[in-house]
Amino acid sequence: MTREDILSQLLTRSRSRTRALAQRLSPPPGPASPSLAPRKAPAAWPPPGPPPQQTVSSETESSRRVQQVRVHLTQHRHLDASVSPQQGDVMEAELPSGTEKTPRRRNATSRRKSATRGQQATTPSRKKESKTLREPALGVLAEVDNENSPMLPANATPRSSKRKSAQLVSSRIRKQLNLLESRQDLDSDREDEDEFVPSKKELQSSSEEEEEEEEEAGLDSDDEVVTKKSRHAAAGSRTPRSKQKSRSSTRTPRKTPNKKIAPSTPRTPRHATPSIPSRSLPARQPANVLEEARTRLHVSSVPESLPCREQEFQDIYSFVESKIIDGTGGCMYISGVPGTGKTATVHEVMRCLQHAADVDEIPPFHFIEINGMKMTDPHQAYVQILQKLTGQKATADHAAALLEKRFSNPAPRKESTVLLVDELDLLWTRKQNVMYNLFDWPTRRHARLVVLTIANTMDLPERIMINRVASRLGLTRMSFQPYSFKQLQQIITSRLNKVKAFEEDALQLVSRKVAALSGDARRCLDICRRATEICEHSSADTSATGLVGMSHVMEALNEMFSSAYITAIKCASLQEQLFLRAVIAEFRRLGLEEATFQQVFVQHQALCRVEGLQPVSVSEGLAVCQRLGACRLLLLEPSRLGVLQRVRLNVSQDDVLYALKAD
Amino acid sequence: MHVMFVFQSRGGGGGRVEEMGIMRQCGTLLSGGADGVADEWVVGAIRPGKMLAEKYCFFQSPSIMSKRKGKDAHLPVGECITLVQQILRERLCHQQLPDKPDGIEAQHKHLLELLKRTAVHGESNSVLIVGPRGAGKTMLLKCVLRDLLEEKEAQKNLLQVHLNGLLQTDDRIALKEITRQLHLENVVGDKVFGSFAENLAFLLEALKKGDRSSSRPVLFVLDEFDLFAHHKNQTLLYNLFDVSQSAQAPIAVVGVTCRLDVLELLEKRVKSRFSHRQIHLLSNLTFTEYLERVQTQLCLPDDFPDSKFAQDWNDSIMTLCEDKSVEEVLQRHFNSSKDFRSMHMLLMLCLSRVSVAKPAIKPADLLEASRLCFADAKANMLHGLSILELCLIIAMKHLNDVYEGEPFNLQMVHNEFKKFLQRKSNSMYNFDQPVIMKAFEHLQQLELIRPADGSSAKTQREYQLMRLMLDHSQIMEALQKYPQCPTDVKQWAMSAFG
Repeated sequence: MTREDILSQLLTRSRSRTRALAQRLSPPPGPASPSLAPRKAPAAWPPPGPPPQQTVSSETESSRRVQQVRVHLTQHRHLDASVSPQQGDVMEAELPSGTEKTPRRRNATSRRKSATRGQQATTPSRKKESKTLREPALGVLAEVDNENSPMLPANATPRSSKRKSAQLVSSRIRKQLNLLESRQDLDSDREDEDEFVPSKKELQSSSEEEEEEEEEAGLDSDDEVVTKKSRHAAAGSRTPRSKQKSRSSTRTPRKTPNKKIAPSTPRTPRHATPSIPSRSLPARQPANVLEEARTRLHVSSVPESLPCREQEFQDIYSFVESKIIDGTGGCMYISGVPGTGKTATVHEVMRCLQHAADVDEIPPFHFIEINGMKMTDPHQAYVQILQKLTGQKATADHAAALLEKRFSNPAPRKESTVLLVDELDLLWTRKQNVMYNLFDWPTRRHARLVVLTIANTMDLPERIMINRVASRLGLTRMSFQPYSFKQLQQIITSRLNKVKAFEEDALQLVSRKVAALSGDARRCLDICRRATEICEHSSADTSATGLVGMSHVMEALNEMFSSAYITAIKCASLQEQLFLRAVIAEFRRLGLEEATFQQVFVQHQALCRVEGLQPVSVSEGLAVCQRLGACRLLLLEPSRLGVLQRVRLNVSQDDVLYALKAD
Repeated sequence: MHVMFVFQSRGGGGGRVEEMGIMRQCGTLLSGGADGVADEWVVGAIRPGKMLAEKYCFFQSPSIMSKRKGKDAHLPVGECITLVQQILRERLCHQQLPDKPDGIEAQHKHLLELLKRTAVHGESNSVLIVGPRGAGKTMLLKCVLRDLLEEKEAQKNLLQVHLNGLLQTDDRIALKEITRQLHLENVVGDKVFGSFAENLAFLLEALKKGDRSSSRPVLFVLDEFDLFAHHKNQTLLYNLFDVSQSAQAPIAVVGVTCRLDVLELLEKRVKSRFSHRQIHLLSNLTFTEYLERVQTQLCLPDDFPDSKFAQDWNDSIMTLCEDKSVEEVLQRHFNSSKDFRSMHMLLMLCLSRVSVAKPAIKPADLLEASRLCFADAKANMLHGLSILELCLIIAMKHLNDVYEGEPFNLQMVHNEFKKFLQRKSNSMYNFDQPVIMKAFEHLQQLELIRPADGSSAKTQREYQLMRLMLDHSQIMEALQKYPQCPTDVKQWAMSAFG
């Protein structure tokens, strides 16, 4: 007697039992009935001559069993994937399907509705749920990290403990199989909880060849059948419903990126966790006031609050909040020069909204962030959005299609999504389809998508966007003005937070200087940080107040803002200085701002004679010229032109003359 | 004798990396097979990457040189010479770092403090080291790293990533290299697989996961920093600077460049994320300091085994530096450039003339070395031309005089040459057109002449407009030294009109 025979025997038995159960219970409501059809018609199964365990899954009414089989299939695929590493990376996406337990409550409630509703309505909701479920599970995965196989048994436990009938069936199967093989589980420690490990092994051994085909071709429909089945079964028995629901729902998104989802147990390099090794010795803590101030002033330190952007904060907050509460979508364009707190403000808004969502003031929502600079190609935006939304990986085209579907199909209990697109201008493509999609999705009725875009230039929509894109972006715009000196001062003060390290005047000087130049808060903080360093060094010899004073700030400002050209000319060698003078002399003679090396060289020789120096050879002159060109004091044509290359000054003539005179 | 390598780039397509490959090969060639040409000096005239030729100078390796001296090994003086050669060569070829940086203590302290804070406190930083070529930027960085790694706390923690703009010519390659050097988990053996997008996402994720206090600080050294600014969108720079300005894994980005205008190359949002710390290495060296430096570079250390020889050697160096003619030569070098590398090159040439028979550097050696250093490459190339080719060059010179630098073609040059033959030639005969053509083409191959900008390649070769790439002084200099140059040709060259 083969194993297949035993299995099918077992299954027919259980099928008849469940059928009886189904008859006893009230018949499924109208809309659900079409879902029964494919189950009963074996033609719905794509591969001809399905392997035994497929018959099992197709025929059995116990959806729990189906689930189990599915899990094993997945496991089997894990093994497969070790051979083909590029499939491994989707594992995170797949794995959590079994692990999540927390959101059961919501599933149960939603199920009550979906079970009675039409299939069209249920599909998106399932999808939706799966997405919400995944995110916490990913976190779990990251911790468990390596061991894949123990996780599956672990998640099998609660299921089996709850469902009495299914437990019965499974234990019976197990008994039979044990009889047949008379072997123990490999892991004795999980034997008591893991009921289906033997069958898993069997499935793998019995049907490896067919399974591969089946996976390629038939998983879509397989999935559908499975989910339908589970729904039906759940309608029959109330208790285990929530569980099944969640499980089946997590599977659904697999429909499309089928081949990708083939995770692996042995880690291929593809599956590496991105991390920097941790340090062997802990980082030292700041020891004195100045060091403490430096830590606080570092741009990376997250301040408790964002001063000086209250109005912008309020505007963005109310915009996003209203969209989330209404369940609608919208776009907002935020512009401002670098370092004016655009991204920081949006993050702050999101933190606050998340907090509000946590305390149930507003409906829950997703927050996703992409950055045009952090992707290699504008189309990668789709991939990143999809991955952050659902955890799946797909190619750009595929991801675009999936997102399109997701945002255009209605779904009940769909959460709002807030998408932050930083450095928007880099998403520009010739056809602008990435931008078009980003702004078009929020306008869909069922998308519930709020898009916040950030870029530097105020007129970006007018400048680079074609009309249909700009029109979709709408007119909700906000621009962040550069900080004024008062605001900069307030920012530093609030960051320092009562750490007394600066003199008042020094702070004012920095903020006035930066406000006059750019209004870039990063610059301001960097200067302050540098000033503390200078102060620390100088305080070693002069036991001054220990505070950062005007002189330190002045030095830091000079370091950062003064151009090095004049110093460079002063420090240049004699011949280099002569050459610069020759260049100016030649420019004056020609009345142009450009001359060939040959012309300048004649002047150079003349100057050498005037200065009483030995005349230089052409090679030497060229070398001098090249050195000046390498520093970019001169702008040169490519050096292969030799004496014919044209020479231009990269500094103003006055600067050169000033630098040379000061000697 | 001196050997000259002339690399010509046809079509001007060759990238910098390619040139560097040539330089490398050239270097191995020299160090590997130079035994036969032991005493000759090798000057690489490598075009168009002049900068590279300066930066990547290759010398015969010390081992080979000492082998050459090996025949005198039984003599104590021979051994001493071998040792001297070895010590000084190590010094001059930048294989050995100085014990402490001279004249740049402030910069050294600044950089050391900065990197120490990253290594010890986990503070992210970014800094640029800017200075002309040969000013000691890399030396400064290496010294700082050496001092930094002496500290155990830093040594255990610090991860280093070294990139060079000439090698990592785009972000894709740079990312793979970073991943490889960090030994992230997606490295298999020594290779990094996966697409550009995946690698970027992986690296960013890795850096994002880290935090100030728990992950190891990473030091990114970007040599030839300006070249990274030419990468598409400056993605790598943006991300590195962004990490350095946000609460992620602590990193220090150190850029090394010789361009003073490097900040202008950065895009505004990249620039905003850069901390604007610049360490300038602009040497305010005076001639006395320069002289001292020459002396210290040539002096033997106190721990030299044979103290008497060391004493003698050091005394001879002292007298050498006091010599008037030597001072003059050095002054000329100093006037030309304050670059240490060119000084080392000069001293290296002197050093190679030291032998058992002449166990000291004499002023004459320095003069000869300086002559070699200042030799005009183009004028030297003229020495190798045939009389006919030289005559063509002279004809071109006259054409340049007459037409004030307007371009010429082969026919014009040939006519000029024929005029000379008719008028006063005794020793020269006319050549057939094909012979003239061949000579002309040879000149073009040597890049002594090049097609004028506007002329299209379609025109017949005889009528293609060309420009002379020589200065008159070079032609005259070459003629003076040309062996057995006919007098009438010389006179023709010197006469005002052809």
